[in-house]
Amino acid sequence: MEILAEGQGAYLPPDPDGFRAWVRDNKPRTLVHKMMNEHEAIEKFVSDGDYVAYDCNYFQRGPSSLIREIIRQQKKDLWVCGKFTYVALALLVEGGCASRADIGFVGFGPWLSKAVAAGRLQTYEYSNVVMTYRLQAGAQGLPFIGVRSFGGTAGFSQSGAKLVKDPFSGKPVVLLPALNPDVSIIHVHQADVYGNARVFGTGISHVDCALASKRVIVSAEEIIETDEFRRDPARTSIPHFTVDAVVHAPFGAYPGTVQGRYASDVQHVVECFGGTMRGDLQPYLEKWVYSINSHDEMLEKRVGWKKLQELQRRETIREGYSI
Amino acid sequence: MTPATHFAEREHLICTVSRVIEEEKSYWVGGGGEPLYSILLAQRLYASGVQYMTEDGVIAPQSMMPWDPLMTMVASRAGYRALQWGTMNTAGNFAQLGYVDVGILNTLQVDRYGNINSTVLGEYEGGQGRRFGGPGGADTIAAQCWRTILMTDQQKRKFPERVDFISSPGFLDGPGAREANGLPPGTGPWRVFTPWAMFGYEEKSCELMLMAISPFVTVDMVLAEMSFEPKIAPTIETLDPPMEEELEIIRTQLDTDGQTTGRGQWIEKRDGKYVFAETQGRE
Repeated sequence: MEILAEGQGAYLPPDPDGFRAWVRDNKPRTLVHKMMNEHEAIEKFVSDGDYVAYDCNYFQRGPSSLIREIIRQQKKDLWVCGKFTYVALALLVEGGCASRADIGFVGFGPWLSKAVAAGRLQTYEYSNVVMTYRLQAGAQGLPFIGVRSFGGTAGFSQSGAKLVKDPFSGKPVVLLPALNPDVSIIHVHQADVYGNARVFGTGISHVDCALASKRVIVSAEEIIETDEFRRDPARTSIPHFTVDAVVHAPFGAYPGTVQGRYASDVQHVVECFGGTMRGDLQPYLEKWVYSINSHDEMLEKRVGWKKLQELQRRETIREGYSI
Repeated sequence: MTPATHFAEREHLICTVSRVIEEEKSYWVGGGGEPLYSILLAQRLYASGVQYMTEDGVIAPQSMMPWDPLMTMVASRAGYRALQWGTMNTAGNFAQLGYVDVGILNTLQVDRYGNINSTVLGEYEGGQGRRFGGPGGADTIAAQCWRTILMTDQQKRKFPERVDFISSPGFLDGPGAREANGLPPGTGPWRVFTPWAMFGYEEKSCELMLMAISPFVTVDMVLAEMSFEPKIAPTIETLDPPMEEELEIIRTQLDTDGQTTGRGQWIEKRDGKYVFAETQGRE
């Protein structure tokens, strides 16, 4: 295949055979109890230097409690899949955890310019959909995927993409390297103890994240019986055999929203966003991460039941969310 | 409808774009802010059945008002009563298949060929430039929708001869460049709207072309707020001012706290003419 142009960005090299072998050797085929607390899940399945993907973001059905736990455990040199993310990357970089990111969209502000200028964050440029297509290829066990976008951009030059002559039509087409993250963290509405999981409403790439990743940590608003899945199998979003850990995390997306369950905490969102715009997130991290030991403790000591009830009340829409 | 006598320039921008939205076309609206307000306003006044999708795979919602500016995607109000819920690749696939006629986007910078920068002001290499969020979904919107509408402010720094970084493609280097880089033929930039002007593109050269101006500025004022001289259409039209009915919707249902439209200058009608206002802000 003739290569017409190629980006110069580093990328996680696709290895579909290696991934298959990983699945063969590491993913249990039977129903295995995978419940654990957030500390254990992050300690066991996120390692320094890992490529990490999360679905959605810190404000919208993201695995916010797990992101805070990664920071609390001071994981290092993570390479972050920065699709559709606002402040989560900022928190991970300012918390000293992330040093590289593939960018689709990130919450900008002085924190970002400073981190890039100081060399604390190395960025590679993509777009949101380009990243979710890379995950799709990873979720299909393919080495690459062709797309009809991205070509000719400056992002292309700073990426792992290539422009080639399509061997079938002879026309130029962009190829993206498949992405198989070391670990994905995904927040869902419901899961059982084995990792079967349901997401209601829209998402960014939760199914592909689960299928494409070597390790998958699911945090769930609610743990339900496996029989519930058997009664309505079409509503299973993620199958158990892709999942390595299930964490029961009510309000796990806090301060973000979970559709049909609770609204975002606007005051908290503004506080967090303000930190990125001021370029100083240390007070935020101190208050919401370092000074407490767990998600439960944060809810109890920093948020309070009254606020949580208010957030539930404010989420008035139920249609489509099976509640 | 009644022409308004006191309004923000960004309100005017939203009203102008809402009037070019056609019921028979399908739309992909990027992020929140002005692009979304334009289509929501059109749904309420000019094209009640017009369908749009967003990056998280919400297809044809009847979003709940008042609009929540913080929660534009993966949120129940924004996706309310949609016809389908999918994921980001649902949106990407529909656009790649040719189902999406028009994309509407905000941009930090746009150049002569309609290229879009949302990544960095200044040099990318070396990391000393001022960084922004990246293209998000805009790269796919700009590559694959049949037409792209851009919205931005009329400021010299927003219209450089060449953007500092092409985050999302316009016509790239000119005629034929999109196809040579693997983008689908027959797609590309269609209009750029600012509070002061409407631009199209000259078909042959693919270059930005001034087509109309707002009633409170002159052609020279528009050109003074650009870093390059665009093509100029043979006849320059004058855009209509906002209508009271449009402003009522923007202020009570869409941008209720003025977060988006409150910035920028205000316009008033004085002695029968639209001029920059002495009083800023909603009365």
